[in-house]
Amino acid sequence: MMSTLSFSLLQSDLAQFAPRRGLLSIRRLDGSPNVDVNTPGFITATTRGLVPHLSRDHVRSTSSIRWTHIAFESFLDRVPPIPLLQSGPHSLHKFLGFRPNQHILSLSLRDPSDQRIMPPNGKDHVSAYCMSGVRKVTPQMWKDFTTACTPDIIVALSDTSLSDTNYSQKRLTKSVERSTAWLAHLLQSDAKSTSDPSSPRCRNILVNMAGGDEPRARASFSENLIEMLQGVEFEQVNPLRTLDEGVSGYIFELLPLRNDIRRDAPPAREEAAISSVIPLLKASLGPLPITKPRIAHSTSSPHEILQLIRDVGIDIFDIHWAQRAADIGIALDFSFPVPETHRQSENNDSQRQPLLDSTGRRDLGHNLFDVKYGNDHSSLASYLDEQSSDSATQHPTCPCAACSPHSPASHITHSSVDQTYLDPTTSTAPQHSYSRAYIHHLLHTHEMSSHSLLAMHNIAVMDAFFSGIRQLLETDLKNKESKFLEEVERFCNVYDDKMSMFRLAKEDWSTVELERGKGRLTREKEKEKEKEKEKEREKEKSATTTA
Amino acid sequence: MQFEVIAKCHTTRARVSRMKLAHGVTSLPTFMPVATQAAIKGMKILEEAGGAHQFQGWKHNLLTDSGGFQLVSLNKFTKITEEGALFASPFDGAPTMLTAKESISIQHTIGADIIMQLDDVVSSLTVGPRVAEAMWRTIRWLDRCIETHEKSGKHDVQNLFAIVQGGLDHELRDQCLQEMINRKDRVAGYAIGGLSGGEEKDVFWRIIKQCADKLPEDRPRYSMGIGFAEDLLVCVALGVDMADCVFPTRTARFGVALTFNGPLNLRLAKHASDMGPIDETCPCPTCSDGYSRAFLHHNITIETAAAHAVTQHNLVFQARMMGQARNAIIQGTFPDYLKSFFRNYFGDQGYPEWCINALRSVGVDLLESDPSAKTQTGSGAKWERVDTR
Repeated sequence: MMSTLSFSLLQSDLAQFAPRRGLLSIRRLDGSPNVDVNTPGFITATTRGLVPHLSRDHVRSTSSIRWTHIAFESFLDRVPPIPLLQSGPHSLHKFLGFRPNQHILSLSLRDPSDQRIMPPNGKDHVSAYCMSGVRKVTPQMWKDFTTACTPDIIVALSDTSLSDTNYSQKRLTKSVERSTAWLAHLLQSDAKSTSDPSSPRCRNILVNMAGGDEPRARASFSENLIEMLQGVEFEQVNPLRTLDEGVSGYIFELLPLRNDIRRDAPPAREEAAISSVIPLLKASLGPLPITKPRIAHSTSSPHEILQLIRDVGIDIFDIHWAQRAADIGIALDFSFPVPETHRQSENNDSQRQPLLDSTGRRDLGHNLFDVKYGNDHSSLASYLDEQSSDSATQHPTCPCAACSPHSPASHITHSSVDQTYLDPTTSTAPQHSYSRAYIHHLLHTHEMSSHSLLAMHNIAVMDAFFSGIRQLLETDLKNKESKFLEEVERFCNVYDDKMSMFRLAKEDWSTVELERGKGRLTREKEKEKEKEKEKEREKEKSATTTA
Repeated sequence: MQFEVIAKCHTTRARVSRMKLAHGVTSLPTFMPVATQAAIKGMKILEEAGGAHQFQGWKHNLLTDSGGFQLVSLNKFTKITEEGALFASPFDGAPTMLTAKESISIQHTIGADIIMQLDDVVSSLTVGPRVAEAMWRTIRWLDRCIETHEKSGKHDVQNLFAIVQGGLDHELRDQCLQEMINRKDRVAGYAIGGLSGGEEKDVFWRIIKQCADKLPEDRPRYSMGIGFAEDLLVCVALGVDMADCVFPTRTARFGVALTFNGPLNLRLAKHASDMGPIDETCPCPTCSDGYSRAFLHHNITIETAAAHAVTQHNLVFQARMMGQARNAIIQGTFPDYLKSFFRNYFGDQGYPEWCINALRSVGVDLLESDPSAKTQTGSGAKWERVDTR
C-alpha cells in the first residue's frame, strides 16, 4: 500500500445534504509530506495524461494543481499499456511527470468528460475508447492495470456509460448488479497479492454511483454498498464487512446522468437542468454515511458547483469546463462572493470588468478573440481590482503565470564563457503581467502559448473561487450564520449562467481556426465591416418600427 | 554595441566573441530561435505597450528582420520598386509601401537590440540581371537605412546590420562586400543574406566562406536562415558568429527531436514503448525530468503540451551544440569537436560530401582517421524515416 486517503469535516453535527467544509488528505507511507485538498475544492482534469496546454514546469509552478485525475483509456491502444512499463515507486506519477509530494493522482478507466456515444458495456467488460478504436476492459484487467500503475486513488469500474438507446427497467437492474459485482471484484484480495503482502496495493477506491435516472435504482445501488455481506461474498472481501467499508468516497458523473434524463424525457433538447439532477444525487446519498467525500464530475458552470455544494453537500469538482475555456480564448474573470466591482449593474466602457448582457447579467470572463481586446493593455483579472482604484492601472495580484510571470530560478549555461555574462539584476526583476492585447494577438496568430497562459489563469481563478467558498463556509460556521446561501443567490443573479460568452468565443475560435492562411486578416476586416452594416440596418429597422 | 573577439580557433576561421547589447551580453557563436507571428497589426499597439520586449515579457536580447525576406517569401504579389516594397497590407488589404525609412522606424518602435536593413531579396535560384539589380538596390537602401537610423537618436541602443546580397554570383558578392565594407563605420554588424533558398550546398558554403573571409574582423557576422546542425557547424568553422532559423521549433511541433546522433522522429512506432528520455545527457527541462520517448510518442502532434516539451528540448540542443563549439574554440579543440560531432551525427548513414569539402577548405579533414568512411552526395540533411534501421 503506497498511500492512504483520509477525509475529515469541520462541522460536527451536519445535516445530510448541508454545505460542508472539509479536508481530504493523502498520506504517503514512505514518510513524505501529506498532500492536502481543502474542500470544497477541485480536481484538475487531464487529456491523454496531460494537463492540457501546460508543460511540466508550468504544472509544478501552478501550486493550485493538487489533485489531478487521469483517464487510462487513451493508453489502451498498446498491449501492454505503456504506463505499465514504468518501473519504480509512484510509477504513474513518474511516467506522467507529476510529483508525489505535490500531486494526488486518481485513475479511472474512462474519461468522465468524454461525450462520445459508446457501444454498450457487457456482462464482464466496459467499453473504453482509444485512438485505434474501442477496447473491452474486464474487471480483472482493470485490477491488474491499477495495481501495476500505483495511482493514489482508483475509480472502480461501473456500468455507466453514454448510450443513445433507451434503458429498460431490466437493463437498469443489470447495470446496478454489474457495478456492484465489479466493485466487489476490485475489493477482493488476489491470491497473488495475499501471498506477497509487500506488493503495493492502492486501497483508496472511489465508486461511481450507479442507477441512472431512476431514484429507486440509485438507492438500491447504495443499499448494496452498505449491506452486510454473507457467505462466499464475505469470504472474498474479508476483512471488510460491507463493500462500503472498502470505499473511500462517492463519485457522480453528471454527463451520463444528464444523458439518461434527456433520453427518458423527450423532447427536452437542452442539457438537463441541475435541478433535475439534484434529487437523483440525493437518492444515492440517502442510505450512505455522510462522512465520506462526494465528488462531482463534469459540471458545466460555477453556478452548478455552488448549487451542488448548497443543496447536496458535494465536496470536490473537476474543472474541465474552465480548463477547456482556455482552448477557445476565454480568460475567466469572476469570484465568490461576488466582488463589489462586479455588482454594478451598468456597463462602463472604461472599466475592465466582464460585460453585462441584455438581461443585466455579467459574463464569466473575457472572450479575448474579440477585437475590443486588441488595444487592452491591462491584465486578465478584474475581480481582484479594488473598487476605488484607477481602472487603467495594472493589478498583478492573480497568482497565475500570465498575471504574475516569473523568470526561471536558474539558467542552463552551455559554455565556460556564458556564466559570467548573466546579469542577476535583469534575471530576477519582477515581470509585468501579460496583457489582454498580447493574448489577443497570440490567439489571432495561432500561438500555442495563448492557451498555456489562459489555462493557468483559469485554474487560478477556479482556485480563488473555491477558496472564497471555503472562507465563507468557515465564517458561517464560526458565526452560526448562513451568509453562504445569500451569496450563492447573489452570484446566480450577477453572473450569466447561460454561458453565452462561451458560444460566441467558440464561434470566433472556429472562424480563426478555419481561416488560417493568406488573406485571413483581410477577410476578418471585411467581416467586421459587414457586422457594422448589419447593426446599422437593424438600427434603421427599429427606428422605422418605433416611428 | 560592444563587440570583442575573445578566442580564435588555431585551424579554422571559427572564433568566440562577446557581444554586449542593451539587454545583456550574448556569447558568440550563437543560434537565435525565431519567434514567428510577431508581425504586428499596426504599430499603435506596440507603441502603447512600450515595445516588443515589454509586450511579450522578454528581458533579453532581441533581433528583428526588416521585412524584406518576409515580403518575398510570404507574398507573391509584392512588387519591388526603387522606393521600396509595394504589397497588399495583411491588415486591411490596402496597397502599402514598405520603404527603407519605414522599415527602420517600425523596427525602432519594436525596439529590438539588433535591427536589419531593408534588403531586396531574390530567391537564391534566380539568375540574370535581376540578381545584380537587387544587390545594388540593397546597397542604396542600406544608405537610406543608415541615414534614418542615425537621425533617430536610437543608434546608441539599437544596432543596424547590413545584409550582403548578390545571389550565388561570386563577383556580385565581392562587389557588394566591398561597398558594404566601405560603410563599416556606420553599421554594427553584417548579415549574409539571399541563401538557404534551395541552392546546392556546395555553392552555399562557398558563398558563406567568401563573405566570412572578407567581412571585417571586428564586426559580428550573421548567417540568415541557417538551422540544421551540420550547416551551423560548417558556418561557424567558416567564421560565422550568429544564425537564426525556424527549423528547431517548427520541426518539434511535427514530432522531431534533435539529438547528437541525429534527429528522432517521435511519431515512429519504434519509440512507442521506449521509456528513456530523448537524450540521457541533455539538461533541458524535458530530458532532465525523465520525460520518456514513449509518453512523447503518445501525445506528440496531438497535445500542445507535448509540442512544448520537444520545443524546449530542441532549443536546448541548438544551444548546447553552439555552447560546446564555443568551449572547443576556447580550448583549442574545435577541429576535434567537428570530427566527433560529424561522426556521431552522420557516422551511420555517411558524411555529406559538401561538409567534407567545406571543412577541408579551413583545414579540417573529417575523414582523416577513417578514409574509407561512408559519404553521401546531396544536401545530406538527416531525417529519421520509417524505413531506417
